[in-house]
Amino acid sequence: MPEAKTDKELLRRYHEHGDTEARERLIEQYLPLVRSLARRYSYRGEQLEDLVQVGCIGLIKAIDRFDIDRGVELTTYATPNIIGEIKRHFRDKGWSIRVPRGLQELNVRLSHLLEGLTVQLERSPTIPELAKAAGVDEEDVLEALESGQAYATLSLSAPSGGDEDSDLDPLESLGTIEHEYEVSEDRAMLAPGLAALDERERRILHLRFFEGLTQSQIAQQVGISQMHVSRLIRRSLEKMRDEIVTDEEPRRASESRR
Amino acid sequence: MTRPIELRIPNERPFHGVARLVVGGLAARHNLSYEMLEDLQLALATVLEGNGYAIGQEVLVELEIAEDAIAMSIGPLDGDAVQADLERREGNALGLGRLLGTLVEDAGVEAREGGDWLRLTKSVRGVKPTRSNA
Repeated sequence: MPEAKTDKELLRRYHEHGDTEARERLIEQYLPLVRSLARRYSYRGEQLEDLVQVGCIGLIKAIDRFDIDRGVELTTYATPNIIGEIKRHFRDKGWSIRVPRGLQELNVRLSHLLEGLTVQLERSPTIPELAKAAGVDEEDVLEALESGQAYATLSLSAPSGGDEDSDLDPLESLGTIEHEYEVSEDRAMLAPGLAALDERERRILHLRFFEGLTQSQIAQQVGISQMHVSRLIRRSLEKMRDEIVTDEEPRRASESRR
Repeated sequence: MTRPIELRIPNERPFHGVARLVVGGLAARHNLSYEMLEDLQLALATVLEGNGYAIGQEVLVELEIAEDAIAMSIGPLDGDAVQADLERREGNALGLGRLLGTLVEDAGVEAREGGDWLRLTKSVRGVKPTRSNA
């Protein structure tokens, strides 16, 4: 691991004098850390080198955002940033683990059936009803629904098309900040993580947890499938948790030093 | 309530999916709707993955099914932290209390031997079980 003193000097040179060579040296010095963290996630079907590249983005962000006066080591600050970037990569990429094609297809089919049956029955269908409509066993339905949790969302750069095409382009939502949630320092409060969400994600969470709308009601309002609402709710809560962990690690480390 | 069904899993994220599947299996046998199942699974994930509430190397999930409700107990947990977060539901903060308050009818911390548990109760009134083997 690089020496802290050297880190501080390099960070100071970069932040105070704009020395990009110092920044490059820091990146090189911390590559083994990135590689070690990336290795933890390489079993999920992604090439290690790809994850190292993603992790490097987290490292660079950490170096760029690092506050020298905060009293924490760069390692402490960089680690959650690198992990956060890798997690975001899996979340944004789509299927985060290898899911058999048959299950992926069943998941898509169930999404359509869920919509149809909800309208037809005027209530949310049961698993046996979904299984019957799909012509498969209940266990297959459960497995396909569970596999759907591995599907996070379309990549930001993915072209529009398909079932979820009615969704807004995530890029359109970026940069829009709502101030309707109060920020709390309580560790269980997810509010601080709301900044990590785009406008649509915040809207969906608000409709579900403050307005008390059901998933199907939200699906109608937002104009996406019910199953996609489910995925967005889960993903949004995960993002917020990750964001809070990323924010809190350096603070906790700093506090423990006092 | 039926005899409790217990599941013991390592307190690690990859195993949380196993717990979700078990809850899903029971929900299917009890003829719960997709939305009810979603609520239960999200409540479970909120507790398992939230803020280090689960304190042991293993976590237990216990499910009991009655005619009008499903009870899900999770433990051992940091009971003080869970209790404090459950009680905090003011304002617009999206914390444990608000999340569980939406997803289940009742949530309370229980002291047991070996640690505190969180008991969640979800009403399933109006649902007719197809089978009674749960």
